[in-house]
Amino acid sequence: MDPFSAEGELINIHNAFHQGQYPAVIEFDTSALSPENQLPAGILQLRAQIALGQSDAVLADVAGGADDTPDLAAVKALAQHTTGDIESAYTLAQDLAENYPDNSTVQVLAGTVLQAQGHSEEALALLTKHQGNLEAVALIVQIHLHQNRSDLALKEVQAAKRWAQDSLLVNLAESWVGLRVGGEKYQAAFYVYEELASAPSTAAPLSIVGQAVAELHLGRLPEAEAALSAALEKYPDEAELIANTIVLNVLAGKPTEELEQRLQQTHPSHALLSDIQEKSDLFDTAALKYAPRVSS
Amino acid sequence: MQSSPNMLTKFESKSSRAKGIAFHPKRPWILVSLHSSTIQLWDYRMGTLIDRFEEHDGPVRGIDFHPTQPMFVSGGDDYKIKVWNYQTRRCMFTLNGHLDYVRTVFFHHELPWILSASDDQTIRIWNWQNRSLICTMTGHNHYVMCAQFHPTEDLIASASLDQSVRIWDISGLRKKHSAPTTISFEDQMARANPSQADMFGNTDAVVKFVLEGHDRGVNWVSFHPTLPLIVSAGDDRLIKLWRMSDTKAWEVDTCRGHFQNASACLFHPHQDLILSVGEDKTIRCWDLNKRTSVQSFKRDLDRFWVIAAHPEINLFAAGHDTGVMVFKLERERPASAVYQNQLFYITKEKHVKSYDFGKNAESPPMLSLRKLGSPWVPPRTLSYNPAERAILVTSPTDGGVYELIHLPRDATGAVEPTDVKRGQGSSAVFVARNRFAVFSQGNQQVDIKDLSNATTKSIKPPAGTTDIYFGGTGCLLFITPTSVVLFDIQQKKQLAELAVSGVKYVVWSNDGLYAALLSKHNVTIVTKTLEQVSSLHETIRIKSAAWDDAGVLLYSTLNHVKYSLLNGDNGIIRTLDQTVYLVKVKGRSVYCLDRSAKPRVLDIDPTEYRFKLALVKRNYDEMLQIIKTSSLVGQSIISYLQKKGYPEIALQFVQDPQTRFELALECGNLEVAIEMARELDRPNLWNRLGAEALAHGNHQTVEMAYQKQRNFDKLSFLYLSTGDQEKLSRMAKIAEHRGDFTSRFQNAIYRGDVEDRIQMFKEVDLYPLAYLTAKSHGLTDEAESILEACGLTEDQITLPTIDEPLRVPQPIVPTFKANWPVKAAAHSSFEKALLGEVGAGDDEPAAIEFEPEEEDEAVAGRDTFEDEEEDVAGWDMGDEINVEEDAEFVNVESAEAGAGSTEADLWARNSPLAADHVAAGSFETAMQLLNRQVGAVNFAPLKPRFLEIYKGSKTYLPASASLPPLVNYVRRTVEETDSRKVLPVIPRDLETIANVDLQEGYAAMRANKLEEGVQIFKGILHSILLNTVSSEAEVEQAKKIIATAREYILAMSIELERRSLSTDTPEGLKRSLELSAYFTIPKLEVAHRQLALMAAMKFAFANKNYSSALSFANRMLANGGSPKLLEQARKIKLQSERSPQDKVDIEFDQFAEFDICAASYTPIYGGSPSVSDPFTGAKYHEQYKGTVCRVSEVTEIGAPASGLRLFVPGQY
Repeated sequence: MDPFSAEGELINIHNAFHQGQYPAVIEFDTSALSPENQLPAGILQLRAQIALGQSDAVLADVAGGADDTPDLAAVKALAQHTTGDIESAYTLAQDLAENYPDNSTVQVLAGTVLQAQGHSEEALALLTKHQGNLEAVALIVQIHLHQNRSDLALKEVQAAKRWAQDSLLVNLAESWVGLRVGGEKYQAAFYVYEELASAPSTAAPLSIVGQAVAELHLGRLPEAEAALSAALEKYPDEAELIANTIVLNVLAGKPTEELEQRLQQTHPSHALLSDIQEKSDLFDTAALKYAPRVSS
Repeated sequence: MQSSPNMLTKFESKSSRAKGIAFHPKRPWILVSLHSSTIQLWDYRMGTLIDRFEEHDGPVRGIDFHPTQPMFVSGGDDYKIKVWNYQTRRCMFTLNGHLDYVRTVFFHHELPWILSASDDQTIRIWNWQNRSLICTMTGHNHYVMCAQFHPTEDLIASASLDQSVRIWDISGLRKKHSAPTTISFEDQMARANPSQADMFGNTDAVVKFVLEGHDRGVNWVSFHPTLPLIVSAGDDRLIKLWRMSDTKAWEVDTCRGHFQNASACLFHPHQDLILSVGEDKTIRCWDLNKRTSVQSFKRDLDRFWVIAAHPEINLFAAGHDTGVMVFKLERERPASAVYQNQLFYITKEKHVKSYDFGKNAESPPMLSLRKLGSPWVPPRTLSYNPAERAILVTSPTDGGVYELIHLPRDATGAVEPTDVKRGQGSSAVFVARNRFAVFSQGNQQVDIKDLSNATTKSIKPPAGTTDIYFGGTGCLLFITPTSVVLFDIQQKKQLAELAVSGVKYVVWSNDGLYAALLSKHNVTIVTKTLEQVSSLHETIRIKSAAWDDAGVLLYSTLNHVKYSLLNGDNGIIRTLDQTVYLVKVKGRSVYCLDRSAKPRVLDIDPTEYRFKLALVKRNYDEMLQIIKTSSLVGQSIISYLQKKGYPEIALQFVQDPQTRFELALECGNLEVAIEMARELDRPNLWNRLGAEALAHGNHQTVEMAYQKQRNFDKLSFLYLSTGDQEKLSRMAKIAEHRGDFTSRFQNAIYRGDVEDRIQMFKEVDLYPLAYLTAKSHGLTDEAESILEACGLTEDQITLPTIDEPLRVPQPIVPTFKANWPVKAAAHSSFEKALLGEVGAGDDEPAAIEFEPEEEDEAVAGRDTFEDEEEDVAGWDMGDEINVEEDAEFVNVESAEAGAGSTEADLWARNSPLAADHVAAGSFETAMQLLNRQVGAVNFAPLKPRFLEIYKGSKTYLPASASLPPLVNYVRRTVEETDSRKVLPVIPRDLETIANVDLQEGYAAMRANKLEEGVQIFKGILHSILLNTVSSEAEVEQAKKIIATAREYILAMSIELERRSLSTDTPEGLKRSLELSAYFTIPKLEVAHRQLALMAAMKFAFANKNYSSALSFANRMLANGGSPKLLEQARKIKLQSERSPQDKVDIEFDQFAEFDICAASYTPIYGGSPSVSDPFTGAKYHEQYKGTVCRVSEVTEIGAPASGLRLFVPGQY
C-alpha cells in the first residue's frame, strides 16, 4: 500500500511537508509510527531540514547510514547539492539513479538534484520509472512545466488523477499546470490554494504565495495585496513572498526598491534578481545600437 | 406520536379531552373547549395559558373566535350557547333554545350570526347583536354533529348521524335581514317572537342538496375555501369528497385509511391537501387531487376528536383525549445559502433562485427541483459551492436524500437539472472545493464524497450525532443533543468539543472566525476553534441569525430582530410582524427570507449596536461620530454605559443634573460634580461630594462642601488638619457669634488660644475651669482675677496636680494653600476625541504660490482638451513586424520530448506592440519597433519603464521543495487559454495614467513645482510610449494625453528657462519678457493658462510693457474664471489702456498664430519651415532636425516614423 495514501499513518506528515510546513514536519512525533514507516518519516524530516537551509546538520546526520541505505544516500546527495557541493552531488545522484532506480526516495531526491543542475532529461528518465509514486509525478509535472511543456504536464496530472484524485500533491500539481494554462484554470488553482491557506492547520507561506499568485493572474490585485502583505508581516524573509510582492507592487504602480533590497539581502541568488540584472544589461547593450543622427 | 420527519409540533397542552378548537385569526392564541366543561385560552407561541372560562355545565364541544371582534362563542352539553368577551373575560350572554347537546358553533364571516348544530336535530342561526334566534333548520332526523357556513356564499353544510350531509341555501335569510327598512310588519313580528316562527313552509333556509354516501353517521363536514368542494368524515371510517354545482352535488371520491371512526376533516387553506383525524389516533393527510394518503401521524394512546386550521398561517391544531397539539405540516424555513453577494434559495414551487444583494434583484428561476424528494416535502437545506457553481440539496423524504446539481451559467427558467448525483443521507454539506460530507443519521456515518459522488473517506461521528455543519475549511461540526464537536476531516481527528445542548443551526461569520450556534432558546457564539465566546438565552424561540460585517450577530426570534455582540451584550433592533429567516446584514438593511420563501429587506437602525461595538473596541472616534449623527441618547444607553464601567462617557450624554452628578462622582470628575451640586444645591449632595472630595484629598472642595452644609465642626477640624490658622480663628469668631460654646471651646483648643478658652469659661460661669486653665498655663494674674471675681482665695480651693499644659502642635506645611497633589486625571481617549474634534478644523490648507481659488477648476476632466489635428491613420498603419501567425507558429501540442517555447516567446509572437515585446523580455525587438514607429533613438530614459514592465510580467510559484520556483506569466487576457492569443499584462494602464499620473502633473502645475511637473509629464509620455489599450476610443484618449503632456512640458520648460535668467541686463529682461509671453502659448487647461497669463501680465506690467500687459489682461478676461483673478486683470487693463505702449520691444506678436520651438523657445510663425517630433508632435526649428526631442527625450526630431501603435483590433 502506498504509505502516503489517505489511510496511511504518514498522511499528515507528508501533507505538512508538501504544504511547506517544514517546522511542523520536523517536530512531528514519529515514535508512534509503525517500524516500516519510520524511515520514510525520517527522510521527510531530513528533507524539511534541507528546505529550511539546515543542510549541514543533515549531512552530519546521514554520514553514518548513507552508504548502506540508498534513501539516506539520496538525502545526502540533495544536501550536498544545496550546500554547493555540486560535483559530488551530481556524481552521487547519477550513481544512485543507476543502482537504485526503483527506490522511490532515490527517484525523487536524485531526480531533484539532477533537475536542479539542469539535467532534465536524466531526471525525467529516472522519474518515469516510478510505480505510483506521487512525488515523482509532481516532480515530472514540474520539470515539464519548467521546459514549458504544459501539454505533457497536463497529461501527467490527468493520468495521476485517475488513481490518486484525492491526494494533496495531485491537487497542487494540477494547480501548477492550471496557473500555466490560465483561463478558468486560474480560478480552480485559486480555490485549491485558498482552501489550504484559509485552514489553520494547513496555512503556510507556500499556500499563501500560491493563493496570491493565483489572484495576481486573475487580475485581482487588492486581494493579492491583502494576502501578501499579511503574510509578509508573518514571514518577512520568505523569498517568494517578497518576489511576488515586488511583482504585485509593479502591477499596482507602487515602489519596489525597498523590497528589491530586502530580497537582495536575504536571497541574493533569487531568479527575479538575476533575471532583472540580465535584462538590465541586455537593455544597455541593445540601446547602444541606436543614436540620434545629430547629437545635441 | 411517532416521530415523523414532516410534522413539526409547535405546542402541546395537557388537559382532559379536547372537543373543540379555534384559532385566533391574528394573535397566537388558541381556544380549546374541554370535555371537563372548561374553555382554555392558550398562547401557543409562548406556551402559556392565558385564561380559563368555566361557566358551562358539562362538556363544551363547540368553540369559535369572532373574526374581528374581541369575542368568542361556545356551545355545550348544557344546551347553552354562550358568547364571551375575552377582554373583559366575561360571558356576555347566553343563547338558550336548543333542546339537547350543542355540537358545534360558528360565527358568520361578516354577518352578526352564529350557527349552531345540536343533538336536537336542528341547526339554528342566531343574531348575536340582538341576541335572538333568527332561523331554525330542521330536516336531519338524527343528531346534527356539525354545521358550517360557506366561507363566501350563502350556504351551510351540515353533517348528521342520519348518515347524510346536507347543503342548505340561506340566501332568503340574508335577504330578509340585509334590508331592515323594507321589513314588513309581519317580519318584524316574526323576528320579535322567534319562538313562534312557523317551522314548516319556512323559506329562510331551504335544503339544497342531500349528500348520501356514508354508511354510518357523519361527524364532520367542511367547505373548500375557494373551490365548490366539500369534505366529510364519518363513522364508516371514510373521508368523502363531494363536488357541487349550482344545480347538483355528487360524490367525487373516498379516502380510505382510517381504521376507526373519522372525527373531523378539513381542506388545507393553501395547498391541495385534505387533513382528517379519527379515533384510530391518527392525523392523516391526503392529496386532494389523487385522493391518496400523503402522510399519517399516529399518536400512541389518544384518540383525535377535532382538527382546526389557522386561517392565514400554516398551522393546524388537533384535539385529542389528553389535550391539544398545534403543529405544522412542513418546515417553512426555506433552504438557502449565501455566498458573498448572492443568496441562493429554493422557492415554494421548488425552484432554485438567486438574489443579488448588490442589485437587490431576484433572478429568474435557475432550476426546478420538482423531482427532489416527495411532492409535499420541501427541501431542507442547500449548500453552495462557488468553485464548481454547484448546489447540494437535502430533503427529509424517505429518511433523507441529497442531490448534487450543477447550476446553469445563466438563469433561464425552471429547467429540470440534467446531471444530478443523488444518494441517501439526512444532511449534506460542502466541506471543500471538491468534497462534500453526507451524514446518515440511521447508521451514524459520515461519508466524504467527491464531486462524482464517490465516497473517498468514511468517518464515524460521535454517538448520537443528529446533524452536521460546515466547520471551516476541511472541518466538520457534528451536532449531538448535548454537544458540538469540531472534527478535522483530513487528520481524522476531533479538534475540540463544546458542551451546548440542542443546537439546531450553525451560522458562520463573514470572515469565518466566529460561528453562532443556535438552539431553540440559546445562542452560543464560538470561535472557529470552538471556544465559547458568549452565550445568551431567549425565552422566545430563536429562528435564524446572520452576521454583520463588523462581527455583530443579528438574530431573529419569532417576533424580534435582535443583536448580540461578541461579548454577549444584546438588545432588540426591531419587532417583526411575521417570522423571517435572516440571511445577510448589509449596512442598514437586513436581508431575509419570509415563510413564503420571498426575499425581503428590512430596514434597521444599527446605531445602538454599532455604538456598543465601538465602545467595546474603544473606537472613540466612531462613537463620537455616532453620537453626533444620531439621536441615541436615552436612559438605556446611559445605564448601559454606567453598567459597563464607562461613566465618563455616559457623562457626555446626560443633561439631567442629578444623573450628571452621580456619573461625575462615579468617574471622579469633581469639577462636574461641583457644578452639578451648585445647580441642585441639596445638603445630601454636598455631603456626598465632600466625602468624595476628601477621598481625593481635594480639601478645597471639601471645605466648600462643608461650608455649604454649614458643618462647622467638620470645617474646624479640616482647618486644623490643613493648618489654616487664619480660617480657624475665623471659625472661632463665628462660633462666638453663634453663641455655640462647645464649638468655641473646640476651636480654642485647636488654636491653642488659652485666653479665649478662659474667657469662654468665664462667660458660661465655669469659673473653676477658667481658673484651672489659667493656672495651669501659668497665667497667674488671670488666675488671681478669677479668684477675686469669685470672692475666693487660693487656700480655699484644692487643685489637682497640674502637668505641663498640652501644646497644640503647629502644622509645619501650609497644606491649606493647595490641594493634595493628585495625579492629574487624564482625559479619557473619548474625551480627547471630543476635545480634538473641537480643536480641529482651524488649519487652513497651506497656501500655494499661484492663486489657490483655482483648485476646483483645475480638476476639470481631461475631456476638455482641444483636439489635435493629427493624422489619425498614423496610429494604426504601418505594421512593421508582420506576424505570420500560422506559418511561424510552433505547434506546442506536439508530443515530442524536449523543451517548448516559453509564454514570453508567445507574447512576442502574438503582438506587434512594443510594450508586449518588452514584457516578453525581447528588448531588441521592442526597441526596433519603437524606432520604426516613433523614431526612438535614445532609450536610456526608457529603462525604468522597460524594467517595470518586465518585472511585472512573471510570478514565482514555489513548487517542489529544493527546486527553484515555477515561473508563470501574468496575462492581461485573463480569460484566454489559446496560446496564440495570450498577451502580457502591462502595468500602468491608460486609466491609471489619466486618473493618477496626469492629476499629479496638474497638481504640480498648481503647486508651482515645475521641475517635478516636467518629470511627471515626461514619465507619462514614457508610460504611454510603452503601453497597450483596449479600444480605438482609448487610442484617441492616449493621443490626447500625449498632446497634453507635450504642452505642459513645453510650458513648464519655458517658465523654468525664464526663472533661470537674470533680468538685470536689458537682454536678459527682454528674453524674460518674451519667455513669459511664450508661457501663455501652450494649450494648458484654462485654469492653468490663467496662471500663466497672470504671471505674464504682472511681469509685463511691472516692466511697463503696457501693450503686452493689456493683451494678457484681455485674454484673461475672455477666459473668465475666478472673480479675484478677473478683478486684477481688469485693474491692469484699465491702467494699461492709458498708454498702451511697450517699453521693451519683445519678439511677441500678440495677434499672430505661432508655435514655440521646444528647443530654442522661440516662435515658429506659420509658413516658416519647421520639423516635428514623430512621437510627441512637438515643433522645432529646422536646424534641430535629427537631434533628440527635448520633450520626450527619447525620439529623434524629424525621423521617419509610422506612428505609435498601442492597439491591435481583435486582440482583446
